[in-house]
Parts: sequence; C-alpha cells; structure tokens
Amino acid sequence: MIEAKHLTKRYGRTIAVNEVSFAVKPGQVTGFLGPNGAGKSTTMRMILGLDAPTSGEVRVDGKPYRELADPLRSVGALLDAKAIVGGRSAANHLMWLADSNGIARRRVSEVLDIVGLSDVAGKKVGAFSLGMNQRLGIAAALLGDPQTVMFDEPINGLDPEGILWIRNFMKALAAEGRTVFLSSHLMSEMAQTADHLIVIGRGRIIADAGTDEFIHRHTAASVRVRAVEQNVLAEALTRRGALIEHGPDSVMTVTGMDAAQIGGVAYAHAVTLIELAPLGSSLEAAYFDLTKDETDYDAALLVGASQGA
Amino acid sequence: MNTATVTLDATHLTAAASPMRTSKTRRAVNAEWTKLRTLPSTWRTAVIATVLSIALGAILCVSQAQQWASMTAQQRRIFDPTSCSLFGVVFVGAMMLAALGVRSVAGEYSTGMIRSTFTATPTRRRVLAAKAGVTAAFVFPVALLADIVSFQVGQQIFTGKHLEVSWDHAGVLQAVVFGAVAVSLIAVIGVGLGGLIRHTAGATTALVLLIVGGVTLGQLLPAGLRQYVPGTVFQAAVTVHRSAGLLEPRAAVAVLATYAAIVLAAAAIRIGHRDA
Repeated sequence: MIEAKHLTKRYGRTIAVNEVSFAVKPGQVTGFLGPNGAGKSTTMRMILGLDAPTSGEVRVDGKPYRELADPLRSVGALLDAKAIVGGRSAANHLMWLADSNGIARRRVSEVLDIVGLSDVAGKKVGAFSLGMNQRLGIAAALLGDPQTVMFDEPINGLDPEGILWIRNFMKALAAEGRTVFLSSHLMSEMAQTADHLIVIGRGRIIADAGTDEFIHRHTAASVRVRAVEQNVLAEALTRRGALIEHGPDSVMTVTGMDAAQIGGVAYAHAVTLIELAPLGSSLEAAYFDLTKDETDYDAALLVGASQGA
Repeated sequence: MNTATVTLDATHLTAAASPMRTSKTRRAVNAEWTKLRTLPSTWRTAVIATVLSIALGAILCVSQAQQWASMTAQQRRIFDPTSCSLFGVVFVGAMMLAALGVRSVAGEYSTGMIRSTFTATPTRRRVLAAKAGVTAAFVFPVALLADIVSFQVGQQIFTGKHLEVSWDHAGVLQAVVFGAVAVSLIAVIGVGLGGLIRHTAGATTALVLLIVGGVTLGQLLPAGLRQYVPGTVFQAAVTVHRSAGLLEPRAAVAVLATYAAIVLAAAAIRIGHRDA
C-alpha cells in the first residue's frame, strides 16, 4: 500500500510534482501513466526516500520509507536497470543487496530462478543485455519478498517477448495479493497490463480510475455509417440520443451508439446500409488529448502571466 | 484470550525491535564488504599497489645508496633508511589503495547504483561510515604487508653501504605500522572525496593533488604551516630520524586522522542533504 498526500517537488522555480495525492492498493496492478517528464520518476524517487519532497508526504505501509525497518522486505523497486556497477556477477550483485537487509543468501538463487537468470548467475552484469538487466532488476526487487513492488518504465527497450513476460509477471504478482505499481508513458501498454490507472501530466494527477472505467469514460467509440436512406437513418439515430457528424460523400460518423445498435435501428426503419464500420479505439488519442490539455493549460497560464506583466 | 494476545504481540515487538541498532550497522558493513570483495578490480588493485610500492621503494633505495658517497654531511645526518624504503608505499601504494575508497562512492554515483544502495540502507551516513570502515579495514593489511616487504628489501639494499637499520632500531616498528595506518586514513579521505565530488576521475585527481601536489605547493607556505600539508604529514608519519619541518610521527597520524574526519563529515553533510 502506497499513499501520497499533497506530494510536491520543486526544483528551483520548476514544479516537477504538484500537490499529488493518490493511493496504490494491494491485489492489483496500478499503472502510473504520463508523458516523459510528467513527474513519474520524481514521484517514485520520493516514495523510496531518495528525493525529499518540498511539501506533502508519502507513506508505504503507513510509514515514511526511511522509517521502514528492513526496507527491501517491504518494498522492492526497479528504477533504472542500467544503473549498476558492471564488474560484479549477477549473483554477487544480489548478494550485497541481501546482506544489506539481513536476507538469507539462499534467496539469491531463488530469485535468479524466478526471473530465469540462473544460467548466467556467475556472469558479469556489464555484459548483460537490457532485457537481462531488467530481469536482474526484478530479481533484486523480489529479494526481500516484499508486499509492494514498484517498477519505473520496465518495458522500455524490450522486445515483444520480454514485454509479454513482464506483463504476465506483474499480473501474477498482483494475483498473489501484492501491491504492484508500474510506470509507463505508453497508454496501450498500460491498458493491457494495469487494473487501475493513475494518469499524471505536468506534475498533476489528471485521472485516477479503474482501467475499464477510464477507457469507457475517455474513449467515445464512433462508427462510420453510409446508407441509401441517409436522412431517415440520421433522424432515427438522433432521436435515440446518438451524435452525428456529417462528412463528405454522405459519410456519417456516429458516436454514442455501437455498430450493432445502429444496425438494429436501420433494420427497424427498413434502411439499406452501404457501410457500417466501427472505428478503432481512440484510447491513445484520448490519453494524448488528456495530457495535451495539461500542456495547453500551462501554456495559457504563461501567456496570461506575460500579458499581466 | 485478550491478555494472551497482548503478551504475544509484546514479545513479538521486542524481538523485532531491540537488536536493530547494532545489526543495522553490521548489515551495512556486510553489504559494503560484499561489494568490495566481489569486484575483481579490488584484488587486482591490491596486488599491483603492493608490487609497485615495493619496486618503487627499492629503486629509491638503490639510488640513495649510490648517491651516499657524494652526499654532504648535512644530508647524511638527516638520511632516514626507514622512510626511504617506505617511499613507494607512501606515494604510489597509498594513492592506488585510496582510489578504492574514491571508487566505492563515486563509482556508484556515476553508474546510478547509489540509488539501490540508498533504497537498501536509507540512512546515508550509515552507508558512508560503512564504506569508510570497510575500505580502511581492507587497505590496512595490504599496506602493512607492502610496508614490511619494502622495509626488508630496502634494508637489504642498504647493507652494501652499511646504512641499514634493523627491526629493533628505535622507531622502526612504529614507522612501519604508522605507514599502514596513514594509508588507511588516506583511503578514508578517498571515501570522503568520492562523496564530495561524485565523479571517479575528479575525486581521484583531487586526492592526488592533495597528497602529491600539496607537497610541491607547500613550499609556498610559511614554514610553520608547511608541516601540516597532507603529503608532508604523511611523510612525517613514517620517519625515524626526524628532520626539521616535520611533525613528530604520533602527531602526524593524529593530524591525518583529523583531516580524514573533516573530509568524511563534509561528505556526510553533502550526501545527507542532497537528492540521490
């Protein structure tokens, strides 16, 4: 369980994280979504006690990170898989981490097994591929068998196979009842992995909802329709609450009803359909709009400020 | 029922909470020791530093022995066969071994691994203290071995000119041990510089400037201050025949320890107050 309350981080005059409040709950994968530079990593560093908040606070299992008795037993985190001294072997890297929190050394081979790195346990990490480094970072996060795990952009730079592996792994951890907090700048990835989404833009939380709810709320599914009796259909659909946008070549873009419903209405009114095509999910577009609004909002503020001066 | 639960909770609490203070430090030390010993370059550095120290000391001893005939009476009076044989440890061995201290902090900052270290051990001063302690404890026996062999080789070389001193000569044992203590203190200064500068190359340069450069630049200082220049203090720690302008060996070690404490404290303040 991670709880942030009015968490704020300023660097000089720039606000990286602005009055952010949220709770990450156990038993589900929570996606932390936002464009690069939105404040995701800064927030994660504050959760781990690496950066001090300018104001506000964040607690893990009810305590500030620095007050956790053996932090690796409560929280496992992977911030940057490449941030590792390359001269050590994978097993030895995990060994010092285990020593630092009084974790039994046999746990090292256990976690190497879990992430599938047993064969290269004695190999120097400097020679590892990014995918192997990611796995090693996940092994390090699991070392203390923590209730909460946190990963910053874990799929960055991975091949499709690696992405699938991480996705299933995160879901399995959540299914075990753990709190899984995962950041990404890719909406499509989060939609497939996360049960819950916290969207951040320009240091502010702009959405905090279940993934299904988020998709439902932010994607207005639309259907492309052409019909012989176009006016009859348009009138019937409007009466049922659909929104119609008329385009060139008698194409109507209908929102508020799905293709099956539109087909039913057409049948009921004996309308001959020429085309009935659901348009692809605009989730990515919705996310883009959502975060773009944040940008525009700030730009507007800046313009206002300069005019005022 | 209720009382039973309360008692159980209480014992559970004390069992978990009481040994924390000592064991947390021990854990940090264990982690740093594992880090130090699992880098192959640690052992390479130890071997090369020992060999170079002995070789350089031997070269100086040979050249001093050859120059003996042409030395003035004054030069002969202040000639110190002990400190001469330890020259390699003082100037090259110390630098290379102290670089291990620099690396233990600056190396982690430049790769970003310091974040893993601070998430594992959130009390940063404990991390720094563990790094200083572990580095000093590792460096001491290495430097002591280099000192002993260098002394032995050096005296062997001086035998030809009958300049040698033996182990039971007053002050010799102290000089050999103080040499290793001084190297350990310089390694601690290396840890501190690593924390202050955070770039391996920059911190190593600072270390070399402090030890070697200080001796050269020290000539510009008034005589009273000159003896407190770090490199000169280091030299003073291993002298048997005191010459003018050098501190007494015990005082030299104390001054060096003070420098190490100051640099380490400054690093602790900087590391504690900054975002990682």
